[in-house]
Amino acid sequence: MLKDYHYNIENIRNFSIIAHIDHGKSTIADRLLEYTGTISEREKREQILDDMDLERERGITIKSKAVRLYYHSKDGKEYILNLIDTPGHVDFSYEVSRSLAACEGALLIVDASQGVQAQTIANINLALKSNLKIIPVINKIDLTTANPDRVAKELQNISEIKEEEVILASAKEGIGTSDILEAIVNKIPPPKGSSKLPLRALIFDSLYNSYKGTIVYVKVVDGIIKPGMFIQTMSNNIKYEVAEIGIFRPKMQPIKELNAGEVGYIIAGFKNIKDTHVGDTIIDASNPSRESLPGYKKVTPLVFCSIYPVDNKDYENLKAALDKLKLNDSSLFSEAETSEALGFGFRCGFLGLLHMEIIQERLEREYDINLIATTPSVMYQVTKKDGETKKISNPASFPPKNEIVKIEEPYVKVNIITPGKCIGGIMDLVKERRGGFKNMEYIDEKILRLDYHLPLNEIILDFYDKLKSISSGYASLDYELIGYQPSELAKVDILVNHQLVDALSFIIHKDKAYTRARKIVEKLKEIIPRQMYEVPLQATIEGTIIARETIKALKKDVLAKCYGGDITRKRKLLEKQKAGKKRMKKVGKVEIPQEAFLGILKI
Amino acid sequence: MKLGLYLHFPYCISKCPYCDFNSYQLEKDNQITSYIAALYQEITAYSQKLEKSNIKTIYLGGGTPTILSGTKICNILEFCKENFKVDKDAEITIEANPGTLDGKKIRLLIESGINRLSLGAQSFNNLFLKKLGRIHNTQEIIDSYYLAREAGFNNINIDIMFALPDQTIEDLQATLKKTVSLKPDHLSLYNLTIKPGTEYYKEYKRGKLKLPTEDEEFDMYNWAINYLEENGFEHYEIANFARPHKRSKHNLIYWQNKPYLGIGAGAYSFIRGYRYMNCEDPARYIKEVMSGKLPIDNGEKLSLRKRMIETIILGLRTKDGVSYKKFKTRFKIKLNDIFSKQINKLVNLRLLQKDNYKIKLTRKGIFLANTVFREFVD
Repeated sequence: MLKDYHYNIENIRNFSIIAHIDHGKSTIADRLLEYTGTISEREKREQILDDMDLERERGITIKSKAVRLYYHSKDGKEYILNLIDTPGHVDFSYEVSRSLAACEGALLIVDASQGVQAQTIANINLALKSNLKIIPVINKIDLTTANPDRVAKELQNISEIKEEEVILASAKEGIGTSDILEAIVNKIPPPKGSSKLPLRALIFDSLYNSYKGTIVYVKVVDGIIKPGMFIQTMSNNIKYEVAEIGIFRPKMQPIKELNAGEVGYIIAGFKNIKDTHVGDTIIDASNPSRESLPGYKKVTPLVFCSIYPVDNKDYENLKAALDKLKLNDSSLFSEAETSEALGFGFRCGFLGLLHMEIIQERLEREYDINLIATTPSVMYQVTKKDGETKKISNPASFPPKNEIVKIEEPYVKVNIITPGKCIGGIMDLVKERRGGFKNMEYIDEKILRLDYHLPLNEIILDFYDKLKSISSGYASLDYELIGYQPSELAKVDILVNHQLVDALSFIIHKDKAYTRARKIVEKLKEIIPRQMYEVPLQATIEGTIIARETIKALKKDVLAKCYGGDITRKRKLLEKQKAGKKRMKKVGKVEIPQEAFLGILKI
Repeated sequence: MKLGLYLHFPYCISKCPYCDFNSYQLEKDNQITSYIAALYQEITAYSQKLEKSNIKTIYLGGGTPTILSGTKICNILEFCKENFKVDKDAEITIEANPGTLDGKKIRLLIESGINRLSLGAQSFNNLFLKKLGRIHNTQEIIDSYYLAREAGFNNINIDIMFALPDQTIEDLQATLKKTVSLKPDHLSLYNLTIKPGTEYYKEYKRGKLKLPTEDEEFDMYNWAINYLEENGFEHYEIANFARPHKRSKHNLIYWQNKPYLGIGAGAYSFIRGYRYMNCEDPARYIKEVMSGKLPIDNGEKLSLRKRMIETIILGLRTKDGVSYKKFKTRFKIKLNDIFSKQINKLVNLRLLQKDNYKIKLTRKGIFLANTVFREFVD
């Protein structure tokens, strides 16, 4: 930390880095940290800001972070630069928008070879909504496939960005770092607030640490915050005493106060991160500001699934693990539920499919729990004959058809950026997914932007994978919720040996029910091992069978020969098989392997 | 102590693509010379430890033991008799590949004291023999068989495989009819299993092997049992059929979970509750033995419970099943005191039958033997 640092709001720059996945956001951040001496060579790891294993593996950042850099500019002045890192995936767009709200500017990173992608546009729009000054950076110019001129033209075509403004960089080679820093200082305005006004601080993230409790990331918009003060949030009247405040360098470093315009953290005995919603405003309990900061909304999960432990004994572990994850992830929703087929488990809600996958993977990997997850679903809105309207995400809790007047499902506006030659395949895909075309425009001669409205349900499973395969990986996707629309939906139940397996029920558009039901019973026939007797598999809608298969009785299960030493090996093999059977779920008399529940997701 | 003695010969003229046994294609004749030297060394090492034991049976298995000359085989058996107390009426079996036999060799085998011949026929269809990578054709099987009969072998087994890729039940029927027409004393009938590490496994993974379905395999096995029983064979073990008094005594030692000593690369022994295996690689085996060590690779002392379970699994493979009395004598506790829950469940499922003396698999249980065995393992 600089010894002669004096607070001066004019010398503060708060910025984010926004980019499509893999365009090099984290590497750019690393170069800025190194250049400003925030981290030494020795402390350096690849992608410093991503500290979860999963984040590194998937190359995305899940939780945003804020790091303070001290920069001695060419104009001779010392600047405080606060780099607020943002998640790079569409699932986390609310978190992105709150992080951006804490900034006055943003570095927009675009890959010199891949060019503009769907999230590039989504990010530009988000940044503009937050009135940010955008500094366009074309990264990876060292690649042999780099074409910065083309990319600069694309940027000009889709936004107000002018070709001349673009900074050319290669984070890998360290090219362009000082240009970026100078642009941050010269182009991004200082924050606008005043330390003299009553305290208003924006929560843009929070994090649970078992030693320190809840750590809240804030930008002080107005006023000053100091340890010993009593604070509260706008949405909640509980008062907390501030225990510690500080900044990230990138490690936590306590300081005496945070003034208007500054970014840092607060520890104030918040019991739970649920008390510290992202987007909420922190105010001085003894001198409360009347005016909350704009843009706060409660995050609502979009994708739901049920999660059960394979081994019922793991229920308590699963519960504890979900609670721990929720400490750090206020957008994760879970509540206990019981399934006849699967026993005790949880209905969980996620921001999107990626969020769901990350949580499932963390539960399995970090907490070592074998899971069965049901097919993801969305939140339907069901209006009953008695006038009641219910939001239902779990097919198991759908009311019978004769009680329903209307079912509505969530629709999203999907924005696809694609090479023009893939348009045929994409149109077929969207049509098959009940999508409606809205708009198309050319970004340049070869790149198209397509807008569609689609039911969310149709994109949560494998839409993205399909889109990628149709376009050989070139097309990118971004979506946002636009509301509910009535739909002809039906609930399909699956019966194994005449017994309903509630965890396999699903909601689907009635035109697609038959085909999917057919595929599911066929898949189950493949996956469920033969039992001692014949097992019928049926798919039904309201009791009417729409698809049927039969698993024949097991006829032959015998090891050919067994001599000498074979027996110990064979005993061990039988033990292993037996252990495998124990991991199966028993529905009635039938043992159903875990893959049956997972396998049908891939249909 | 009464023992069975197994001698392993890991070399073959060529390696069959389905085979996952500890066997290798013979490269040079001097491999055999040094391997035999190691066998002698290992036999010597055990001769003192087991001087009080009686050898009831000897089994020369492989690989292909008959890749050795008749004289060498004679010498090895002579060496065994010098070093162990071999019963005068011991059953001595040799496995033979029909492609490695001639009249002279067969006569030498008889002279060496071998009294049981196990012919690896596998099929009587030349097309399948070729696909299986066998080095012989059907005529050579028949010739070897009659040569052995003429030389005086009065106890001959024929090995047959079924559930081969592209095989139909009609083909198996033709093969078994041909086998029965030769009037062998014993017949081993195995279904082909695809084992990792084999050429077949690779093809299977690539989707290139069209194996019979579970139902077809059931039909083949079911037909075979009926047919062989109708023709005077006793189905005395899951995969084995014998004329009266011609059960394999050596193999019965395994199925009764009694002690045996295995000599040679990769051979298993089960002595005093220890089950252990020699190192599989012949070169390493030779090196270990020649440096004065016992070539044991790994093994374990089986707990009482594991010995009980293995005794049950092995016993249930046989027509004799598991006798209450023998179980009690051996383990000092009643079978039903420990496994009554499993037994009753399996009896209810009609997979097991029990009478006053024993439990045994039902006909249905034979086909679902693994389902039965899984109930007993932990």
